[in-house]
Amino acid sequence: MADTILAPQAFLTLSGISKRYAGVRALEGVDFACDHSRIHAVLGENGAGKSTLIKIISGVVRPDSGSMRLAGSDVRFATPSAANAAGVVCIFQELSLMPDLTVADNISIASPPRRFGLIDARAQRRRAERLLAEIGCEDVNPLLRVRDLPLSRRQMVEIAKALGQRPKLLILDEATSALTAADVEKVYAMLARLKSEGTAILYISHRMHEVEALADRASVFRNGRHIETFDKGARSTADIVQLMIGRDIATQYPPKPARQPAKPVLALENLSWEKHLDRISLTVGAGEIVGLGGLDGQGQKSLLLALFGVLRGVTGRVTVGGREVRPGSPAAAKSASIALVPEDRKTEGLMLPMSIADNLAIASLAALSAGPFVDRAKERAAIERAVTRLQIKIGKADDAVSTLSGGNQQKVVLAKWLMTEPRIILLNDPTRGIDVGTKQELYRLMRELADQGAAILFYSTDYDELIGCCDRVAIMYDGRIVRELQGDELTETNIIASALNIDAAAGNVHAQ
Amino acid sequence: MTTMLLRLSRDDRPILIAALFILVILVAGTAYTVAHFGSAPLLSPTYLLQQLQIGAFLGIVAAGMMIVILIAQIDLSVPWTLAAAAMMATSIGGPLAIPTGLGIGLLVGLVNGIGVAYLRVPSMIFTLGVNAVMRGLMVAHTGGYAPQTAATELMKTLAAERTLGIPNALFVWAAVSVVVAIILQRTPLGRYIYAIGNKEAAAYLAGVDTRRVTVICFALCGVAAALAGVLLAGYSTKAYQGMGDAYLLPSIAAVVIGGTNILGGRGRYLGTLIGVVLIVLLNSVLSIMDMPEAGRQVIYGLVIILMLLVYGRGERVTS
Repeated sequence: MADTILAPQAFLTLSGISKRYAGVRALEGVDFACDHSRIHAVLGENGAGKSTLIKIISGVVRPDSGSMRLAGSDVRFATPSAANAAGVVCIFQELSLMPDLTVADNISIASPPRRFGLIDARAQRRRAERLLAEIGCEDVNPLLRVRDLPLSRRQMVEIAKALGQRPKLLILDEATSALTAADVEKVYAMLARLKSEGTAILYISHRMHEVEALADRASVFRNGRHIETFDKGARSTADIVQLMIGRDIATQYPPKPARQPAKPVLALENLSWEKHLDRISLTVGAGEIVGLGGLDGQGQKSLLLALFGVLRGVTGRVTVGGREVRPGSPAAAKSASIALVPEDRKTEGLMLPMSIADNLAIASLAALSAGPFVDRAKERAAIERAVTRLQIKIGKADDAVSTLSGGNQQKVVLAKWLMTEPRIILLNDPTRGIDVGTKQELYRLMRELADQGAAILFYSTDYDELIGCCDRVAIMYDGRIVRELQGDELTETNIIASALNIDAAAGNVHAQ
Repeated sequence: MTTMLLRLSRDDRPILIAALFILVILVAGTAYTVAHFGSAPLLSPTYLLQQLQIGAFLGIVAAGMMIVILIAQIDLSVPWTLAAAAMMATSIGGPLAIPTGLGIGLLVGLVNGIGVAYLRVPSMIFTLGVNAVMRGLMVAHTGGYAPQTAATELMKTLAAERTLGIPNALFVWAAVSVVVAIILQRTPLGRYIYAIGNKEAAAYLAGVDTRRVTVICFALCGVAAALAGVLLAGYSTKAYQGMGDAYLLPSIAAVVIGGTNILGGRGRYLGTLIGVVLIVLLNSVLSIMDMPEAGRQVIYGLVIILMLLVYGRGERVTS
């Protein structure tokens, strides 16, 4: 192969890179290298550290320690534009286009061609046409506003924009997720051409067949660590899945009770919402913890928000205890006895500057009032009960909730809802960024609530947690529930296989 | 003194600073009058009560404004809500005068609230538009001239007369203050107001009907402005064009000087009371000093900026 004539030194080398966010480890001592003229896939579960890795390489965040060498010299990018200048170009998942500017404006946004100091619109348009032609998108009019393009075309514009910067290292982060099949082919052709021209390509994708088709080499990440790098064909799909799962220090989960056919409290039929939820049918029984699994962004969050009345234009049927409900707002959902622990406790779960007491009582003030006034004695008693029940470690209830640790903050969010005595509890990744001890308390509490008759729908990005806590797990892919796992089927292999929407049975055959 | 200030809760600190500044104004003003006229009129109860009576109109407007600012909105329609209420009250006359005036305020407030909460127009724009519309309607109603109608006896009594030597307007202001303070401190509505101002998304996801609360807040602000308009018409025995123009910025200034966060969610009603007193006294001391209008405006503006700088500094020290 051609690479034997290249310098033995890798184009990009990372050594000992570590990064923490507010004490939570994102990357730990990562050594990583990628070469010219290769497509290098980066694989890992949610939270394995892939995103942090590419953010560090492309200058979006700076590592806490470790060094990075690019083309033989040490680099430390302070900003994404510094990385761009060095030839590192990243196509991020979230599109970085400005919707109200034209395609041509967007493609040349960083350094538009100039004439007499002013932007040369004609040269800019020609440049856009040329770059779009390179990826087979001659049909996109450079003078259209990006807002007016469909999502898949926008993604192609994004790719054209990246190409315009003449990358030496191109990073694609799930860049094909929004594309049509025809466009995916065009992107493959473009990547093959760039590779033959010597570009190093880092390719992040959750689609195993893409990785198999494209990558020359793959690296697996897990829990912020680089696990293994291997060449194409050295590992089977089943091996790769195994590497991604790994074996972690076992967490203690409360025992699951023997399952009896539960009376469904929450039942969904054909719930759909725009492109994000596709005919979801699911039941959750009294005393049951049902997990929502799958990769990030397959509709799990939308499902919880739809049930909680946040989304407009949801179709389908929702029944609570046999009665049809149409939650049109969180207030309506609350009166239907539904509670939601939202994704981001700092902006959605809590009013951070307000006191612990105010945050706890906010959802149940109606019940704590006598006539038009808040009954302060009753309120204080209810707050005390909640604090004791969840063992929230607080100084005074009048302290700002922002003074608490992450785990205790999350307990406040949960306690706030338990004070309304909900029959249905929706949890959106409640243990994210929480220490192990508090996590275990939350698991115990979930089981306790279920035993008292609550129906719990639990989304988590941590597969281990889903297996440990849930009676049943519904795996979502592209807005649909692709599989429901329960009992012995509830294994990491099955969850990951279903999450990637590959044939789990085939995976098992390979593994044996 | 600095350490004492730091030990206070961050809601109390601005209130204390504003209260201290009121003392500074009184002392400086008295020193001036003693030096120039050999008397201290600023400290006489008659003078202070008269100032408070004038302050009552501003105080009632500020009470409503504070509620709207607490939910991180603003009501710029106050001037012509006030004027419209006064004009309609005087032109209806009779026993229905006051209810009509307050009804106008309620109506404008509801329109503002619906525009902001349901149509999702930023309050700064929507209420500015409503102010212009109200102004146009009133010009059409009066033909652009000073209205010929007079305030009713009840309006005059409430605004200009005294009971037991205390101006009736002060009683009205006190009543409004008690109602607002109770709403903010003791009712679920008050909690929702602070919650929305702190983090609307979190309040919404806690099942608070944020849109309804927003409408109620604007309605309360509209009624407060209307009440001030009705009283002001009673005080001057008639309504007149532009009578509310002098109340918009001072009411916002009073709320903010009283320690309410202009971005919402924080502030105590006591602070607004003190803010109103500070502004009224500052104005009156500057006029006693025979300061020309231009100089008064400059000093007035500088004081507001200075006070906010002092609050901001304290904030950084503690955090």
